[in-house]
Amino acid sequence: MPPIIDVKDLCKDFRTFRRREGVWGAVQNLFVRDRITVRAVDRVSFSIERGEMVGYIGANGAGKSTTIKMLTGILVPTSGRIIANGFVPYRDRRKYTKELGVVFGQRTQLWWDIAVVESFKLLKEIYEISDHDYRQRLGVFSEILSVKDYLYTPVRKLSLGERMRCDLAAALLHNPPLLFLDEPTIGLDVVAKDHIREFLKEVNRVSRTTVLLTTHDLSDIEELCSRIIIIDRGKTLFDGQLADMKARHARYNQVKFLLKDRSQVGRLGEVTNDGVSCNRLDELTYVMRFDRAKHSTAEVIRSLVNRLEVKDIFVEEEPIEEIVKRIYITGGLSA
Amino acid sequence: MKRHLRLFALYFAQYTKVRLAYKGDFLIAFFSSMVATVLGFGFVWVLFSKIPKLQGWSFYEILFLYAFSITPLGLFNVVSWNLYEFGEQYIIQAKFDRVLLRPVSTLFQVLFERFRLESFQEVVTGLGVIYICIIKLNLKWHVSDAMWFAVMVVCGFLIYLSVFLSLTAVSFWFEDRVGIVPPVFNMLTFGRYPLTIYNDFIQFMLSWIVPFGFASFYPTTHFLGRQSFRTYFYLTPLVAIAFFTLAVAVWNRGVLNYSSTGS
Repeated sequence: MPPIIDVKDLCKDFRTFRRREGVWGAVQNLFVRDRITVRAVDRVSFSIERGEMVGYIGANGAGKSTTIKMLTGILVPTSGRIIANGFVPYRDRRKYTKELGVVFGQRTQLWWDIAVVESFKLLKEIYEISDHDYRQRLGVFSEILSVKDYLYTPVRKLSLGERMRCDLAAALLHNPPLLFLDEPTIGLDVVAKDHIREFLKEVNRVSRTTVLLTTHDLSDIEELCSRIIIIDRGKTLFDGQLADMKARHARYNQVKFLLKDRSQVGRLGEVTNDGVSCNRLDELTYVMRFDRAKHSTAEVIRSLVNRLEVKDIFVEEEPIEEIVKRIYITGGLSA
Repeated sequence: MKRHLRLFALYFAQYTKVRLAYKGDFLIAFFSSMVATVLGFGFVWVLFSKIPKLQGWSFYEILFLYAFSITPLGLFNVVSWNLYEFGEQYIIQAKFDRVLLRPVSTLFQVLFERFRLESFQEVVTGLGVIYICIIKLNLKWHVSDAMWFAVMVVCGFLIYLSVFLSLTAVSFWFEDRVGIVPPVFNMLTFGRYPLTIYNDFIQFMLSWIVPFGFASFYPTTHFLGRQSFRTYFYLTPLVAIAFFTLAVAVWNRGVLNYSSTGS
């Protein structure tokens, strides 16, 4: 089976003009415009198989949203090719969007003034969902997303978390094989985040829905995606399994430990030598960080327990945020 | 087509429900719209209290013309609300993203997401005044005249829509609010008087560039039994279809040029 999303050499340029400052500048702007072309997405290629959940990450302005907007057919690419679910998104817009689910965390896709259930009824007509499927799916979503409680509330009166759940339900009402999520957990509390992640896992498991999501919260990725694509300044820096990324780009390991009592604090200096740093988390909890290439974890722990009286030890991988940050800084070259 | 009719009915019902939920707001809008219409007719009356005829046109003939110009315009006003705020709402605030994500024609969504319900009043008032004029002028109408009348109202509606749709589509290329809509909007008033009172340049403009003449003057001459613009009368459906086709083409080209803002 061909991949559900196939992107080849995708580019997007935005043409704009430099605005001069001040009143005189505004007058000049009327007559002379310095055109500048900004390349937001630069020869990005990837393909995604049916049923995959892929995290698409990058710093602000890296080109994530622009890519998503091209994938959903909102923007027309400057050059390159996208085939998604068998369609060219912008060209076959109406056929393509009929089998597509999209959620933008920043703004709702629902009608602002009308009750949630009325929005759903409109969507039922728009996507030509049969009565049977509609009732069945609404039942399922009411159950696991607990949207039942606010079905009759106008969208504008919902909290962010409630609105997000309704948006997700709305995006999946027509059971699309492909789902795009742009920052689906932005601004949500821990419970709501968890709820939404569980729901996405369930949808992916049951319907084999392909999911591409962008996020700034890397715990979303760790919870949901086995594969990530990192983009920066319009270019792909990494594309592969999350485990591979850790193996290739993680440089440090961490050993967190709890001291037996306060008398041990003074002797901490004995365990920090070259390449091993030690930071305080709270009164008795400290974390040592060391280069995996220079020290083995066993050796570090041995020297720790030999010198200090320690109550508890936890070995941790380098946090994914740190790894990703390093990939941004080095441009993906630190293999 | 059938699906779009169903959707239209749903959109309309949904919007009406929301709008009527704020009763006071709606009544004020309705009342002020009514006042504006009545004042417009009042102006024609004041004008004719000073002069007996305007280039051979009697009071009831001018009244017919005026009423004919506001009838299709009323229909246009019902659906054009989003066109006025298109640049601000849909382009700058990027609401057009959502429009593009739905498997329904973009134009359908933009026109039928909101309705200026109070403008139905203009249609009803216009038809009422035309009925009075038919009686006062002692016009003998056959069924075919009534049918032609309906066709001409639809053509007028399409002409108004085409002109303002083309202007609205300009927002796809120029993000800054374009100041071209208000002057064209003011040109609507030219269509309320016999085209022959203007100079050749304006007559040409109102026929072939901004064809408001085809939305009021040319049809009216025929209904009043004046023969001098017969060809123009029968050309009206063609002009309406041609301009509408062109406007939709410009719109669709603009959609491809849409550059959504923000993240």
